[in-house]
Amino acid sequence: MAEVTSASERRGIPAAPFVHDVQTFLNKSNYDASTALAALQDRLQQYKLAEMKLLAQRRDLQAKIPDIRKCVEIVGTLLAKKGTGEAMKVDFELAEGIYSRATIPEADSVCLWLGANVMLEYTCEEAMSLLQNNLENATGSLKATIEDMQFLRDQVTVTEVTIARVYNFDVHQRRKLRNQPKEEEAS
Amino acid sequence: MQQGDGQETEVTWDDQQNINKFGRLNNKFHELEDEIKAKKDMADNLEDAGNELILTDEEEIRYLIGEVFSHIPKDDVETRLEALKEENEEELRQLEEEKKVVLAQMADLKKILYSKFKDSINLEEE
Repeated sequence: MAEVTSASERRGIPAAPFVHDVQTFLNKSNYDASTALAALQDRLQQYKLAEMKLLAQRRDLQAKIPDIRKCVEIVGTLLAKKGTGEAMKVDFELAEGIYSRATIPEADSVCLWLGANVMLEYTCEEAMSLLQNNLENATGSLKATIEDMQFLRDQVTVTEVTIARVYNFDVHQRRKLRNQPKEEEAS
Repeated sequence: MQQGDGQETEVTWDDQQNINKFGRLNNKFHELEDEIKAKKDMADNLEDAGNELILTDEEEIRYLIGEVFSHIPKDDVETRLEALKEENEEELRQLEEEKKVVLAQMADLKKILYSKFKDSINLEEE
């Protein structure tokens, strides 16, 4: 069996190599314990950095999804009113904490703010399918981000365990060295 | 995770995978706790809204849809609230169920890992 098992990578995140046997690993890589530990710590830091990025990504998506849901809800309400001839009476916010009343007559279309200073008019049906689509995409990316984070988490765990093992191995080696002279004196 | 001068126990790829799995489940567990808390808060809020609705004399209620307060007849609001409550309860039930499964899997993994590594491994939260 090889000394290290590595499960390739996922979306640019390299997998942490698993060390099967510390001694063989150190011999093969020509590291002493402290250099190996430093290299592993380095790797751990890189993983932590990637984790922060993914966390930020997840936070953004988690904020975005309720916003899209709100849009779906209101367009859905407009769609439901369609054909009834009823107007919709609403209180809406003019500025923070200031509300005014508006009557929205039966509407065929809404304007969607697409970002980048562009707003487009859509029929309610089109707006709905666009929003649903956005919602699906956002939910999909959130799922992918969470999967990435799980993969990353695994790599962090592997690296942490490896650090602990190399450290333990080193402690044992040192203890053996310390005990050796005494044994010689005794003989 | 297991620093110190514990006994040297060989860690195999299988062990490592079990440890990974445990870590993942532990994460999942905390996320579920958060979600369950959010759902419970939501349930309280819906309950409060329902009670207020019973007390009010108004025929038209201002009900938040998207970003605006829409004027909606009281009966409609009641129906909407009931639907929300049911949905929320169902989601809460699913989360609780998931939490149970996660906890059971964690308990199994703890047994396996502790029996192999004894005190060289610590799987408890600080």
